[in-house]
Amino acid sequence: MSGEEEENAAELKIGDEFLKAKCLMNCEVALILEHKYEQLQQTSEDPLNQISQVFEKSLQYVKRFSRYKNPDAVRQVREVLSRYQLAEFELCVLGNLCPETAEEAMAMVPSITTKGRFQDDYAIDKMLNDLSMIKKFE
Amino acid sequence: MFFHIVLERNMQLHPRHFGRNLREHLVSKLMKDVEGTCSGRHGFVVAITGVDSIGKGLIRDGTGFVTFPVKYQCVVFRPFKGEILEAVVTMVNKMGFFAEAGPVQIFVSNHLIPDDMEFQSGDMPNYTTSDGSVKIQKDSEVRLKIIGTRVDATEIFCIGTIKDDFLGVINDPTAV
Repeated sequence: MSGEEEENAAELKIGDEFLKAKCLMNCEVALILEHKYEQLQQTSEDPLNQISQVFEKSLQYVKRFSRYKNPDAVRQVREVLSRYQLAEFELCVLGNLCPETAEEAMAMVPSITTKGRFQDDYAIDKMLNDLSMIKKFE
Repeated sequence: MFFHIVLERNMQLHPRHFGRNLREHLVSKLMKDVEGTCSGRHGFVVAITGVDSIGKGLIRDGTGFVTFPVKYQCVVFRPFKGEILEAVVTMVNKMGFFAEAGPVQIFVSNHLIPDDMEFQSGDMPNYTTSDGSVKIQKDSEVRLKIIGTRVDATEIFCIGTIKDDFLGVINDPTAV
């Protein structure tokens, strides 16, 4: 398939279906999966049997790599980042990796510099600064 | 990257489940069938978070089974070429190392590890820089870039690199 050959997240080519879909940051996935895990424990007598390996591995992974633990902070991250006209995918990469400098952010999300959304490095730095503030006051 | 998407599936239900609990049976069968599976197009289905709609059932000729089109929301994990993510190292050998990001396995070949890192064998095989300041071994956390994916019907496998700016070890388990 020609569509798949051209897939490249760095240029935000991830297919229409995923581009329009809602992306989730690791910390958001952690909230969803933990909630579901608790529900399963309450309703089922044998919860371990019900859980797939994919679920278990994903839960371990997102717990290990969640930058923000507190649900309010998670909501704030999305709110702050959504002010910057980012695509869903870009927003989540930034939220997951929390780059510290503009240079790092551009290396992580090369598509960030397109469409003239950020005038200069300072604009990116400002966004990263907003992000780190949430972490600080969590 | 994790996504929250709506998918559709035709569910076949045996006539013995018809009754008040039809919907519950359908939903629990859906979870059993779909959660934990992997398709090349949508990636790994991690968890179903809700059922949007259940369409009109269609009786199959001859068997009495009924097919219902079900629309459901789910969390999926789909890796993309060019994506940068964090992963945990699971195995190190002289060919390179394997890492895991959630359900997906990623292999980083020794050609895609910076040239100044050398393989050290032993009971804890690892890749170390000449001055010993950076070490990759089992349980290390690394940030890597996916440069290739191999997709077949039931599995996704990725090739990654750490030979680029801002990639590499983020935390060394022995340093803590």
